[in-house]
Amino acid sequence: MIGPRNRAFLLFAAVLGLADLPATAADLLPAGQAFALAGRLDQGRAVLRYRIADGYYLYRDKLRFTVAPTAALTGKPTLPKGRMKDDEFFGRVEIYRGEVVIRLPVRTPAPTEPIVVTAVSQGCADAGVCYPPQQVSLTLRPGQPETAADSPAPQGRRSLLDALDGKP
Amino acid sequence: MQKAKQGFLFAAVAMAALAAGLFFRSSDEHVTTTVQPAPAGVMATALSTTEGGKAKLDDWKGKVLVVNFWATWCAPCRKEIPEFVRMQSRLGGDGLQFIGIAIDEMDKVQAYAREAGINYPLLVGEIDAVEVSRAFGNEMGALPFTVIIDRTGQVVRTELGGTNEARLAPVVEALLKTPAS
Repeated sequence: MIGPRNRAFLLFAAVLGLADLPATAADLLPAGQAFALAGRLDQGRAVLRYRIADGYYLYRDKLRFTVAPTAALTGKPTLPKGRMKDDEFFGRVEIYRGEVVIRLPVRTPAPTEPIVVTAVSQGCADAGVCYPPQQVSLTLRPGQPETAADSPAPQGRRSLLDALDGKP
Repeated sequence: MQKAKQGFLFAAVAMAALAAGLFFRSSDEHVTTTVQPAPAGVMATALSTTEGGKAKLDDWKGKVLVVNFWATWCAPCRKEIPEFVRMQSRLGGDGLQFIGIAIDEMDKVQAYAREAGINYPLLVGEIDAVEVSRAFGNEMGALPFTVIIDRTGQVVRTELGGTNEARLAPVVEALLKTPAS
């Protein structure tokens, strides 16, 4: 008979086979879940938090932010340092994994009025697929807790590709 | 003796369990092989070509089509393209036709096509091209995504994620031997 210790090892071997490999493309999350964005206003800053699912990453230099009304944006976003990734085709690129917090200096038009932050991002899964640029908007009101992004906008529009290129 | 037997049995079962786990995890879960007609509207959707005109997948009816959705900003897409170029050279004369559909900007696609020596037609689109990809079953709109269509317009295989000549060749070579009805 197989003893309890050996039985435990068998289970371990089976689980190892199942778990210790990257997710396949079939398990892919929708982009909104893979790169979940939420934000809040905090003392003259929009604090934006991406929660990036395990096995996924965002390109740091593909992140773009706009604010409506445009006058509400008073400076440049502060993007934390990412991790360097050696890419076969793009060389050394800076990426984000896990959680990343980005701060935008903003001024609300009036103490109670909201601003809308629109973020464009582009990321991939370690399983070997990439998502088209994603655009999401956050309506942020002074004094409100962290708010999740509205539904993602349709993907692949000219404006999104332009935004990633830094075109106006 | 009894103990040695037990140990052997245990080792064999452990190896089998590990192998089973690996097999189920790494099998081609992202490959769909159900045979079904290509969505009619999608085959007739006109997209811009890198040559300056418009084209639709229906224009290549009667050939074995490998339709590859890709983008210049997608590293795994770039990796597989040289294999597609090689297959197009080798099997194009037998009726194989690769078509690239790029979710991208025209100038970038044209530049990359020159750099990579792409020898098959390239269509370029954005939301329209993403919709074509979704109609073939790519719900996430992720790239790369590859669709094989036989000479009669049946979708015989889709693959999400990178592929290669070793995986595609047996499928397309079998289809090339089947005449269009």
